[in-house]
Amino acid sequence: MNKAINGIIAASMLLAGYSCTKVDNYAGPNAAFQGNIIDSVTGKNLLTETGGVEIELKQLSWNANPDPYYIPSQPDGSFDDARIFSGQYSVIPTQGAFWPTDSIVTNIGGATTQNFTVVPYLEITNFTDSLNADSLVMTCQLMAPRTDNLPEILEIWPFVNSTPFVGSGAYITNYTISDNTNVNYNLAAINNSWNATIASTTYRMVVHGLLPGRTYYARLGVRVNDSYKKYNFSEVVPVTTAAK
Amino acid sequence: MKKQTKYILAILAAYILVSCHKLDVPPLNIISEDQVFSTSAGVEAYMANIYTLLPMEDFVYEPNSGFMTGNGGRWQCFYHTDAIDGEMAGPFGGTGDAATGFGFWPYDRIRVINILIDDLPKYASLYTPAQVNEWLGEAYFCRAYTYFALVKRYGGVPIVKTVVDPNATIASLQVPRDKEEDVYNFIGSDFDSAYALMWAPGVNGNPGIQQGAASKYAAPAYKSRAMLYAATIAKYGAANYVDGAARTQGFVGIPAADANKFFQAAYDAAKLVQGQFSLYTGGYPDKVQNYVDLFLTANNEDIFIRQYSLSDPNSNSDNSGPHSYDATMTCRIMTGNGLSRTYPTLDYVERYGSLPIVNSDGTPTRYTNLSDLLTVGLEPRLLATIYFPGMTLRGVTFDQQRGIYKTFTGSAAEELSDNLNTPNDVYAQFPDTNSSANLIFSSSSNNVYSGHRVIGNAGFNPSTGDDNTRTGFYIRKYVNYNAPASLCGLYQSTQSYIDMRYAEVLLNQAEAAMELGLASDALTDINQIRDRAGAPLATSSMTIDTIRNERDKELAFEHQYWWDIRRWRIADQVLDNRKLYGLMPYYIATENKYIFLKQVETFQRTYTFQKLWYYEPLPGGELGKNPNLYPNNPGY
Repeated sequence: MNKAINGIIAASMLLAGYSCTKVDNYAGPNAAFQGNIIDSVTGKNLLTETGGVEIELKQLSWNANPDPYYIPSQPDGSFDDARIFSGQYSVIPTQGAFWPTDSIVTNIGGATTQNFTVVPYLEITNFTDSLNADSLVMTCQLMAPRTDNLPEILEIWPFVNSTPFVGSGAYITNYTISDNTNVNYNLAAINNSWNATIASTTYRMVVHGLLPGRTYYARLGVRVNDSYKKYNFSEVVPVTTAAK
Repeated sequence: MKKQTKYILAILAAYILVSCHKLDVPPLNIISEDQVFSTSAGVEAYMANIYTLLPMEDFVYEPNSGFMTGNGGRWQCFYHTDAIDGEMAGPFGGTGDAATGFGFWPYDRIRVINILIDDLPKYASLYTPAQVNEWLGEAYFCRAYTYFALVKRYGGVPIVKTVVDPNATIASLQVPRDKEEDVYNFIGSDFDSAYALMWAPGVNGNPGIQQGAASKYAAPAYKSRAMLYAATIAKYGAANYVDGAARTQGFVGIPAADANKFFQAAYDAAKLVQGQFSLYTGGYPDKVQNYVDLFLTANNEDIFIRQYSLSDPNSNSDNSGPHSYDATMTCRIMTGNGLSRTYPTLDYVERYGSLPIVNSDGTPTRYTNLSDLLTVGLEPRLLATIYFPGMTLRGVTFDQQRGIYKTFTGSAAEELSDNLNTPNDVYAQFPDTNSSANLIFSSSSNNVYSGHRVIGNAGFNPSTGDDNTRTGFYIRKYVNYNAPASLCGLYQSTQSYIDMRYAEVLLNQAEAAMELGLASDALTDINQIRDRAGAPLATSSMTIDTIRNERDKELAFEHQYWWDIRRWRIADQVLDNRKLYGLMPYYIATENKYIFLKQVETFQRTYTFQKLWYYEPLPGGELGKNPNLYPNNPGY
């Protein structure tokens, strides 16, 4: 009997010993980080799209070489992530159509708000849209806040979608013909460095074949040949075609 | 009782004394180094293991999953590199599906090679010096080959050229990254060592080339490829790059000033190979058949190949077991099993010029038979690379047909303009043939309209997804037309993969020569290729684009174009919101004729290359183990 009790004690000691393992007692990702990406020219939110900008976070309080973590922008030019580990971060808006900015170091904890002001490569100005039967005509001009070392300007794209979420990641491909061997090519190709001609030109893009009695959402996007080739957009306009 | 205790103690003591014997017996379950390296059979087996696991982009390689050793998905040959670069429309949703690699990090394989380089010389007295040098040369070749597979993905990586002691301190095992240029120089010098050490095959009593193994002239052949990569990265990467700490510190990117040095090295290496191999002409005078057989017959154009064997005991998982190319690259109606999912694009076909499918007045050209397009004088190499509509394989015709037009009026351009609702393309699905519809589609190849199938057995059947062609074409290169359909099932194909052939060496030399200003040299090289291809010869007005186009035509579907558009730094322009085109055959019922329309492939996928993909990200697990690998490549 004694022996049995000894055995049980020994076994329970062994089990107790195994329980002496480390527990992960780090706090969960309980902080939120949000803010707006502000266009330095207009003072309003940058006209962008889902993922048109990435907010890159590196948690300095974790280690010296933290893996970057990205928060994609929302269509309205804001960003918001409610599952962030509290700590000190280096933060920079990147992978968007704006001049590179400097990173900032900030402490994120609770609900932290941080706005970033960026200088867009280009602004789409004097944007107009008009319907002509089943064709949508859009015109615009371009303005460059900074012209020194501005990468080559590629093209202006018309984007049309059936929902207000319209941009380079969400458009009806039959209305944007980007293959320049196709007779219906409807981008405004520029492929040139910034110059006085570009500054004074009114660009005109036509989208054919809209169906009758529908509401579409349209905008223009222009991009430059930087590392990311993202777009500077016009605002989104709703367009309703006449019923048949 | 006491006596007994004494006896027991005495016996125990005796045991203890006996136990004072050093246990120095070789373990029976581990093969030791001297057992391997002290017989030529052992060394050969060791080398065979190195070759079997060499990171070769062969039939089973998948750009998103790797070299597929022991991977049950290795039958899916259609997960092909050239299905993300525009040569083919394949199973990938876009270029991004495979552009950032699969965490390739073969330092275990490099260690295996380093062990041979370090330790074989200790056993040199057992062999002739020439034999030892041959083996060492092969090892240097394999090491350079492996590092090249690394550098073309990541740029600079740590150069480890000795056997590292796993018990050394962690800090000494965390080898820092080397610069991209230094890695290319290291690769060049390893190929030089391989060339210097190996015997010239087949002369002075030396053995001939052993198929599947490296040989003396394989080393400069690969060196020409590697140096050309370095040269073009230096020249074109200087203008088109993503900035970041790794670039500033030289871990990615090569100074533009060194471009010519590397072009010269590529040119010199290619020159060394001249005279050792020749372009295959064994099937002349039929240049189509000749080009088809080039890939199916062992011949003197092969420089380095991988062989596959049905007798491999682990035939479904070993790299040397059979592959499934025949079962997974052409149409199921011609094979014993499997399915296909990747198809050459019209974009590739148009590298040879536009097909005569539109008349000068803009109307689609009418053809009496589907196969009539084959008789308009297309280049033999093109016909040998691609299965066109109307060709046959194993007695079955490629009868792909998109649909039937009851009548067809007007021009092809009008018909294809997505935005103009022309009367021709008011369409309906079979059996709805009596409506106002003019264009009839079908989801079964058995449906017949006006005595004619609505779609073909080989395509385009929307109900079978991408198991039938999406572009109107099937791949012909490497397809073994000699094998009966019953032997074209999964893991039944054994045609060798040619990883390096003489045509590429000529193309490497031509490109390097042109970049160095040696245009007439380049012209000679290109025209050797063109003559064999049955193409019109190039003239002295040739440009670097002519040479690049020739390279893509010749080396299509050989895992080359992807790396080429990366190293030329044009991938972000070539694949920029790109749709891929197909050649869609239609039957016109009222005319009893066929027309071919150039239309976006049926899945209408978009392919875009982001500039940061010019380098793959270093694998996260390795970064976690070795902080000296930082900074990661730009953009990651």
